Amino acid sequence: MANSILRATLDPELLPLRKTFQQLLPLLDQSPKHPDWYGSIYFERKHSRSQMANLRATNVSSQVTIGAVLRIYDGYTLFEQATDDLDPSALTRTAQEFADRVGGTPPSPGALKRPYEVPSWSDRLAFTLDPEITSQIPAGVSAETPVHFGVRFERDPARPSTEQRVTRLKGLVERFVAIAIEEGMKPDELSFVMARGSFAEEESIFIDRETNLSQTLYRMALTLVTMSSADRIGDRVGGLGGLEATEVTEEEMRIQIRKLRALKTAERLIPGKYRVLVNPGIAGVIAHEAFGHSQEGDTCARGRSKAWELHKAGESVGNELATILNSPAIYKNGATSTAAWGSYFFDEEGWLAQEHVILDRGKLKSPMTNLTSAIRLGIPRTANGKRENWSQGVYTRQTNTYFSAGDKTLDQMMKLLGDGFIATECAGGMEDPKGMGIQVGIQYLEEVKGGKKSGRVFKGPAGGDIQLTGYTPDVLNAILAKSKIEFDSASPDQAQHPTNDTGGCGKYHKEFVFAGCGGPWMLLDPIMLG
Amino acid sequence: MANWTLDQLKQELSKRPTVKGWVLSREHVQRRERYFLADRQTLAIDQDRNVRAHALSARIFVKLSREGRQGEITQKFFPSLPLGPQLDAAVEGAAQTDHLAWDLPVSPPSNLPTRKTADPRIAEDVERAVRQASEKIGLLVAVKRATQFSSAELFISLHDRELHLSNGLIHRSSQSRVYSEAAFSMSRKNARGQIESDEYLNTTWAVGLDDLKLDALFNEASDRAEHSLDIKKPQSGRYPVVVEADVLAMLFNTHLSHLTALNAYHRLPFTKPGDEFIPGAEGDLITLSLDPTLDFAADTLAVSEQGLEQKPLLLVDKNRVVATSADLQYGSYQKTSPTTSRGNVVVAPGTLSYGELLRSEPLVLEVLQFSALFPDAASGTFSSEIRLARLHDQVTGTVTYIKGGSLSGSIAENFKSARFSKETAKKAHFDSGNSGPGQGYFGPAYALLSDVSVVG
Repeated sequence: MANSILRATLDPELLPLRKTFQQLLPLLDQSPKHPDWYGSIYFERKHSRSQMANLRATNVSSQVTIGAVLRIYDGYTLFEQATDDLDPSALTRTAQEFADRVGGTPPSPGALKRPYEVPSWSDRLAFTLDPEITSQIPAGVSAETPVHFGVRFERDPARPSTEQRVTRLKGLVERFVAIAIEEGMKPDELSFVMARGSFAEEESIFIDRETNLSQTLYRMALTLVTMSSADRIGDRVGGLGGLEATEVTEEEMRIQIRKLRALKTAERLIPGKYRVLVNPGIAGVIAHEAFGHSQEGDTCARGRSKAWELHKAGESVGNELATILNSPAIYKNGATSTAAWGSYFFDEEGWLAQEHVILDRGKLKSPMTNLTSAIRLGIPRTANGKRENWSQGVYTRQTNTYFSAGDKTLDQMMKLLGDGFIATECAGGMEDPKGMGIQVGIQYLEEVKGGKKSGRVFKGPAGGDIQLTGYTPDVLNAILAKSKIEFDSASPDQAQHPTNDTGGCGKYHKEFVFAGCGGPWMLLDPIMLG
Repeated sequence: MANWTLDQLKQELSKRPTVKGWVLSREHVQRRERYFLADRQTLAIDQDRNVRAHALSARIFVKLSREGRQGEITQKFFPSLPLGPQLDAAVEGAAQTDHLAWDLPVSPPSNLPTRKTADPRIAEDVERAVRQASEKIGLLVAVKRATQFSSAELFISLHDRELHLSNGLIHRSSQSRVYSEAAFSMSRKNARGQIESDEYLNTTWAVGLDDLKLDALFNEASDRAEHSLDIKKPQSGRYPVVVEADVLAMLFNTHLSHLTALNAYHRLPFTKPGDEFIPGAEGDLITLSLDPTLDFAADTLAVSEQGLEQKPLLLVDKNRVVATSADLQYGSYQKTSPTTSRGNVVVAPGTLSYGELLRSEPLVLEVLQFSALFPDAASGTFSSEIRLARLHDQVTGTVTYIKGGSLSGSIAENFKSARFSKETAKKAHFDSGNSGPGQGYFGPAYALLSDVSVVG
C-alpha cells in the first residue's frame, strides 16, 4: 500500500528559485580564487495560519517568513548573508557582493585553518538512516538530483476552511464552559478560556556542491488554556502530520478542568528533598536541560561545557538508567502516527536526521554538532544545525531529546512511588552547562500516599511554580525506575520511540526554536523541590 | 520583482466596501552579527553574519453584518506576489473573526514629537559600529585575567519603520538595537587533584552604544567567574534578598499587565484605580509610570500602532493605582478614554544606597544572577535556581559566594516591605528574533525584598 501514503509536497512555485540557487552556488563555492571555500545556500518559507477563540472574541492571523541564507565557510569562519529579496537578479548581486566581502576579510591573526571535506551521497547513505528518509531518496541519487522529503499525514491539514477551524475552536471554548459547570465550578469561576489552533507549512531547500535537498513539514498545534482568577492550566497537543495531530478528547478536557479546580485549593510546598514521579514531558525537560544543552557542540567549542571535559575523561555522570537520546528522526511519536515536534528530515545545514545517543547508562558520548562545531571539535557531524528563522544565526540545537524507555507499567511505578508526589505540568527549565546545575519548573505537585493520589495538591513555597533543582549528576543518579513507552499495558512496547511533548527552547536566553522533549515516566529520589 | 507599491495597497483597501480601516507597518532591518570564541589562545570569529530583511504587515478591520461587531486579521503582505489574492485572503479571513467594534481616530494626530530612538552612529554606518565594537572586544579579551575567555557575541541592528493608518497618519521612525554577551570560565585543581571549573555568562541589550558598556560587561563576567568556584549551597530558609535592576525590569514589565484595560476586559487579573498596587505595602511605596519619551530606551516611541500620541503616564503613585493603561481598542471596550499603552517602565528610586541595603539586615542574600527567572504574569509569582549570589553576614563581617538551590517569591508578598536603592539603572530587553516592542526600564538599580523562600 506504499502508494496510498500521503506526504507533504514542495510548492511547485519554489522550483524556479531552487534553480536560481543552483546557478548561484559557483559564486560561493570553490571559486578559482578560493578553491577551499565551502559554499551552500539555505532557503526557508514558513507559512503559519492560526485561529483563536476565547470567551469574548475570535481571531485569525497569517504569518509568513521567507528568506535565503548564502553561506561561505572559508576554513576559519562561517560567513552568512541572509536576505528576503529573492528576485534572481538581486540574489545574484547579493551573492557577488557577499563573495567579495568574504574574499576581502582576512582570518584572525594566528587562527588555525580547518578545511571542510564535503560528503557525497555515497558517504551520506553509509550512515544508518530511518526508512522514512531512505524511502524518499531516489535510486542512483547524485549531486544534481533534487531530493524531496515530505512529512507523512493522514488527514489533509489544509482542507478545513477558516470558518470550519474557527467554529471548532468556538465549540471547544463552549464545551469547556459546560464541563466546568458539570464539574462543580460556579459560572463565574471559569474566568478565561482560550483555544488556539495553528497549521504551519514549513518548506526548506538546502543546496551545496554534493546535494540538492528540499523538505516540507506540516506543524500542527492545538493550545487550550483555562483560568480561574490567577490559576491557569494550559495544554498543547500537536506534532508534524495532518489533522490527526490535534485531536483532543472530552475526557482530556474534563481532566484539564479538574486540574484547574484542584489548583483553587492548593497548599504551599515546604521546600525540601522528596520522592517524585515525573511524567514523560517533565522527564524530557530534565533530559533537555541536563545533558541536552551541555552536549551541544557549539557550547563545547566555546569552552562553556563541563560535559566535553567529562566526556573526554570518561567519567560517570548518572546511573544505569540514565540514557538520553536526541533524534530529529522520530516520525512516529510514541504510539501515535504523527512525527514528534522537533523532527525533520535534514537540518538547516543539510545534514540528514539520525538518532544520536548523548548519554549511555551514565557515560557521556560525543556531543551533538552543527557544521562549525563539528569542524572545531574534530568530531562527527549530527543533524543539529538549527536557527530561529532564516534571519537568525545557526547554532547546535536540540531536536527531540528524551530518556530511553524502561520496563514498568504506570501502575507499577505508582506502587514504587509509595509516598511522594506526581509532577505532570512543566513550567520551563534552564541549563547550566559549565556549572552542571539544573532547573526544571513544575506548575504543581499531586500528593501520593501508599501508591494512591491523596487529593492534596501543592504549589511552590510562594504560591507559584515549584523548581526542581540540583547538581545534574545527582539528579541522574536519583533515577530509580522508568516506565515502558506504552505504560498502560504490560505487553511489550510496539512503539519505537518514547513520547515527546511539544516544547520550545531558548538557547543562551534568546534564540527560540521548536523542540520535542520526552521519555518514560520516571521515579526519582531524592530530589530537591522548592 | 516588485509587483505593487504601498500606495496601491492603500488604494485597494480603500476600494473594498467591507474594509472599515487598516494599520500598515513596514520595516526594513539591517543587522550585523559576530560570534567570537577562544581558539588556541587567539580570538577567533566563528560566525560572521549580515542580514537584510523587509516586512510589510497589515492589520485589517472589516465590517460584519452583526450589529456592534467587526472582524480583523493581521497578515504579512509580499510585494513580489500579486496583490489581489493576498488581499482577498486577508479580507475573507477577517470576516471569519468576531470582535466588539471599535474605531481608529477619525483624524491623525498632528505635530508628533521626534524621539531619540536610533543611535546616530549606528544609523549612519552599522558596519563601522560593528567594526569598532569588535575592536573593543578584542582589547577586552586581551586583558590579562585570572579567568579564561570563552566566548562573546555582538549583534547590532537598525530598524527603519513606517506606520500608515487608514485615517491618513504616516509616521516614520528608526530604532537601533545592540546585543552583546561575554562568557569567562575559571578552572583549577582541587585538593584531590581533579580539575574543577565553572563560568559566568553576562548579557546585555541596549539601544544606544553609550549604554552598551562593554568594559563593565566583560570585567564583571570575568570577576564573577573568578568567584564561581568559591561557592557554597544556600541554607534553606527565608531571607532578605537584594536583586538587581534586570530582575526588577522583568518583574515590573510582566506585572504591568495587571494595570491594563486588556486584562480587565478579558477578566484576567486586574488592579483598578484606587486599589493598592502591593496590598498592605509598608516599605518604599512604589511610584511607577510608563514613559515613551526616554532617550535611547527600548520602548521609546512617538505614536502607538493605533495612531495615538504616546506621552508619560503615571500608573501608580506611592503604591496607589491611579490609572489604567488602555489602548484605543480596549479603552473603547471598557468605555474609558484611551491612554498611553506603550513605554518604558519608570520606577521612582528609594533613599538608601546599595551598601545600606546590603547592611540593613544581619544576613542579606544578594542574587547576582538567576539561572532563569520565570515570572508568572497572572499570579505575580516568580522562581528560579540561583546561578550566583553573595551572602552578606553583618555579624561575622563575611561575604560568602552561593550557587544552587532555588528561590521562590511573589510580588504581593515579597515586595510588601521592599526598599529600593537611590542608585538608578537603565535596562533594555528585546526578543532577538522578533521586531516587536522591547521592554525598557529606568529605576532603582537594586531592591531589597523581604522574607523570600530559598531552598538549598
